[in-house]
Amino acid sequence: MSAILKVNDLKKGDILRNVSFEIGEGEIVAVMGPSGSGKSTLLYNVSGMDKPDDGEVMLCGTEITGLSEDEKAELRLNRMGFVFQQMNMLDNLNIIDNIVLPAVHADRKHKREYYAKAKALMDSFHIGDLAERKVNEVSGGQLQRACICRSMMMGPEIIFADEPTGALNQTAASEVMEAFIRMNIEGTTVLMVTHDSRVAAICERILYILDGEIRGELKLGKYAEGDSRVREQKTVRWLEDMGW
Amino acid sequence: MMNKRMIINDIKANRLVSAATFIFMAVTAMLLGLSIFLFAGLSDSIDRLMAEAETPDFLQMHTGELNKKQLMAFTQEREDVEKMQICAFLNLQNSQISIGSNSFVNNMQDNGLCCQSELFDYLVDAENKVIQPAEGEVYIPVCYRKEYGIKPGDIMRIGSEELTAAGFLRDSQMNSMMASSKRFLVSDADYEKLRPLGSEEYLIEFRLREGSDINAFATAYRDAGLPDNGPAITYALIRMMNALSDGLMILVILLISVVVLFISMLCIRYIILTQLEKDRSDIGMLKAVGISRQDIRKLYFSKYLFLSAAGCLTGIILAVITGQPLGTHMKELYGEAGNTGLIYSCMIFGSLAAEAIILLSVYANIRRTDKMTAVEALYSKNAQVKKNLWLPATVITAAALFMILVPWNMRSTLNAPEFVTYMGIGESQIRIDIRQTDNVEDKAAAMTEEIEQDKRVRDHVLMQTGSYKTVLPDGASYDLMIENGDHSRFPVRYTEGRYPEKENEIALSVLNAEEMGLKQGDTVIVCREMKDGGISEVNCTVCGIYSDITNGGKTAKGCLKKPDDATPVMWSIIYLSLCDDQLAGAWTGEYQQRHASFEDGVRVTLIADYLKETYGQTIRNISNASAVSAAMSGIILLVVILLFLRLVIWRERSDSSLRKALGFTSTDISRDYLKKALLYILPGIVLGIFAGIVPGQSLAAMLLRSMGAYSFHFIIEPAVVYAAAPAFVLIVALGAAHLSLMEVKRIRAYECLGAGKAK
Repeated sequence: MSAILKVNDLKKGDILRNVSFEIGEGEIVAVMGPSGSGKSTLLYNVSGMDKPDDGEVMLCGTEITGLSEDEKAELRLNRMGFVFQQMNMLDNLNIIDNIVLPAVHADRKHKREYYAKAKALMDSFHIGDLAERKVNEVSGGQLQRACICRSMMMGPEIIFADEPTGALNQTAASEVMEAFIRMNIEGTTVLMVTHDSRVAAICERILYILDGEIRGELKLGKYAEGDSRVREQKTVRWLEDMGW
Repeated sequence: MMNKRMIINDIKANRLVSAATFIFMAVTAMLLGLSIFLFAGLSDSIDRLMAEAETPDFLQMHTGELNKKQLMAFTQEREDVEKMQICAFLNLQNSQISIGSNSFVNNMQDNGLCCQSELFDYLVDAENKVIQPAEGEVYIPVCYRKEYGIKPGDIMRIGSEELTAAGFLRDSQMNSMMASSKRFLVSDADYEKLRPLGSEEYLIEFRLREGSDINAFATAYRDAGLPDNGPAITYALIRMMNALSDGLMILVILLISVVVLFISMLCIRYIILTQLEKDRSDIGMLKAVGISRQDIRKLYFSKYLFLSAAGCLTGIILAVITGQPLGTHMKELYGEAGNTGLIYSCMIFGSLAAEAIILLSVYANIRRTDKMTAVEALYSKNAQVKKNLWLPATVITAAALFMILVPWNMRSTLNAPEFVTYMGIGESQIRIDIRQTDNVEDKAAAMTEEIEQDKRVRDHVLMQTGSYKTVLPDGASYDLMIENGDHSRFPVRYTEGRYPEKENEIALSVLNAEEMGLKQGDTVIVCREMKDGGISEVNCTVCGIYSDITNGGKTAKGCLKKPDDATPVMWSIIYLSLCDDQLAGAWTGEYQQRHASFEDGVRVTLIADYLKETYGQTIRNISNASAVSAAMSGIILLVVILLFLRLVIWRERSDSSLRKALGFTSTDISRDYLKKALLYILPGIVLGIFAGIVPGQSLAAMLLRSMGAYSFHFIIEPAVVYAAAPAFVLIVALGAAHLSLMEVKRIRAYECLGAGKAK
């Protein structure tokens, strides 16, 4: 399995100190740690959303720390997706328009195809009937799934997710996690930051970060229907061992 | 399609902000379009009239004997002369003239008759066609049509003679009320018949070949010793006189449009910054999902582009609608503009230019999104320093007051009695002109004696004007019309130095000083004709320079008239004031009656009437512009305060909600906002008064310089400047604040908890 993300000696102020790790193609990995440990900063710096002070980040075969803003925008548009805790969508557009927004902006000629693709994605995440709804007319879980659809529009190689279930209730969080699992099964790599052990337990690997350093790693293997409880228990025990 | 939907939804969601942006864009486009429309229209109409009427390039007025042979010889010698003609002008006594039921006794102009010119300088009709009057017909200067309500068919009486008003004429030279003479056109036969009723003077007119130097020609004419017993006028001066009375209004509108453009740019800047602050997380999201900086800029810019296009279109329509009534007077005086296509193109260009300037500033402000990284935009609360939204209230209050005060101060200045002192006329109540009589000196002496015995007269002074030959420091000779008398009595406004007190002192008008190349302290030799037939040379020092628009702006003042001086007096003027100001009208009327006969050659004028007539149209135009400006600034101020206070309330909504949760009432919160609003509006008012007086005066001085009024100072009406205008601005601002603060009532205490908080 070749690495889709290779991080080497990454530094960002006092928050990240010489962080190194790799994510293989098709993996789904969670980053956990207490508040202020640096997990979100790590995500922003490895996804090119923020600029690290030092170190290397090879994303999809490209060293991204030296890229210009426009080159990074190109990378974000075509090769990666991003899912936020706050489910940012533009109020002025309906759900489907929000989903196709980056794709249509990049390539107006294939607008019709993008709308068809968005509709198919929404159907696959069980929100197809919400296409014409306004942003404030759907639930949190539905909105987060719509955000996942948006991140999937350009067929990204990797998706970064920052606390994707952080603002959701338990039912909505389960719906969203199902969406992530399906996405991963279909071949998309996922790196997510979470503080929810149940969410982390569906991942193949968990990285534990504390005071800006990776302090441990738990390998859970590929998720399979029915083993959630065991994975959760294993995760909780490991986290206790790590001192959380 | 999606962009369109975004724009429409965004406009719907932010109705007030979008409406304000649209209004700013429309008003700016309208004002700039309107000023260019009027300016291009006026300029084109004047050019067309002057071209079709074939206005002379150089014109010398002359009273008295005329040596035609000498003039012909001069003309034939000069290669730059294309055509020359001598037009007779029969000067009439205004008291003899009446049209319909209107007497011209109070008219201040030099009214007279003339025949249609033979070669050029034609008097034309409403279609700019050369008029050929039939016997018994008279064509009336178009500027009198409205003033006296004259209709074709009315009877014009000159003494006992009668003529029928057949229509109206445009006079490319004397159309403007600022030109002091008016020509009535009659047939050659009628002119001959009426000749005994007036005194004849001559207009010696030249058309020069294209590319000729008019100034060089004027110098050559003067040096040739040709008839020059009156002012000389050039094509450029005629054009300026034509353009001024309406042009000044256009300049005021232009000034207002520049201020509005500035206000629009400032407001839109703050609107954008607030919008970006509000949409920061959206921008972060757009960056995070890979939309490039250019596309984000495009996304925001397209909304302003849409508003700007709508505003521009509305502005152009408004400019066309308002341009029609504002241009009526110009159209009547100078005719339809010929090149309407070009004029409309210029107007559209003006409106587009206004929008382009605004859009450039919009673009510069939107570029700020470039600097934010996706993470900063998404999560950092302090990524952008919050702009003080109260500051525009101060600046715009000041700008609104400035917009009201500058046109108003110009109006009050032109209206004030002392304004004449900028015009080269002493600040007296009444002036008596003694001209066109065989013996000006004797008549003036008799008149002075009559006045001295009149107990109602408080003060008077006799000024006698004669033409003197002077020798400049470089040896060149220059003919100078010098007004001699006691200049300390009713002094004019001196831009430099003071009035002459001694025989060896002389003051020059700005135009003369420029043409003679002299400044204060320089000397010039003035040649006096002595009673013994000899010439006495006086070495005069230039003691002062003053602004003047009378007699083509080329005058001088001295104290040369001594008993042994034999230089002929061309005309005399007696300036006087009465003990009781209220009597001025009656006194003038009485003296007008007493000296009504033409042989007297006396004209008694109330200075206030003279001003009213000369600047009446300009003052009316500026009054209109100042009313429009006041209304406009009221609307702008209302919109701006309404908008910015709403933005402040929006930004502090969660704080206000928290205060409500802690027990504050809507009234408490509103009162605090009102106090803060006053804190920013009151300095704006002080700043506005200052700006309206000091920089406003400099701007107005720049405009009035074009009228010949130099070193200009506002003559302000304190009640308006310090009370009425600030009160108006304060009432509008507080009214707008009151409307905005109604929003405070809609803030709920629970919003601070996050639920139901407006995005």
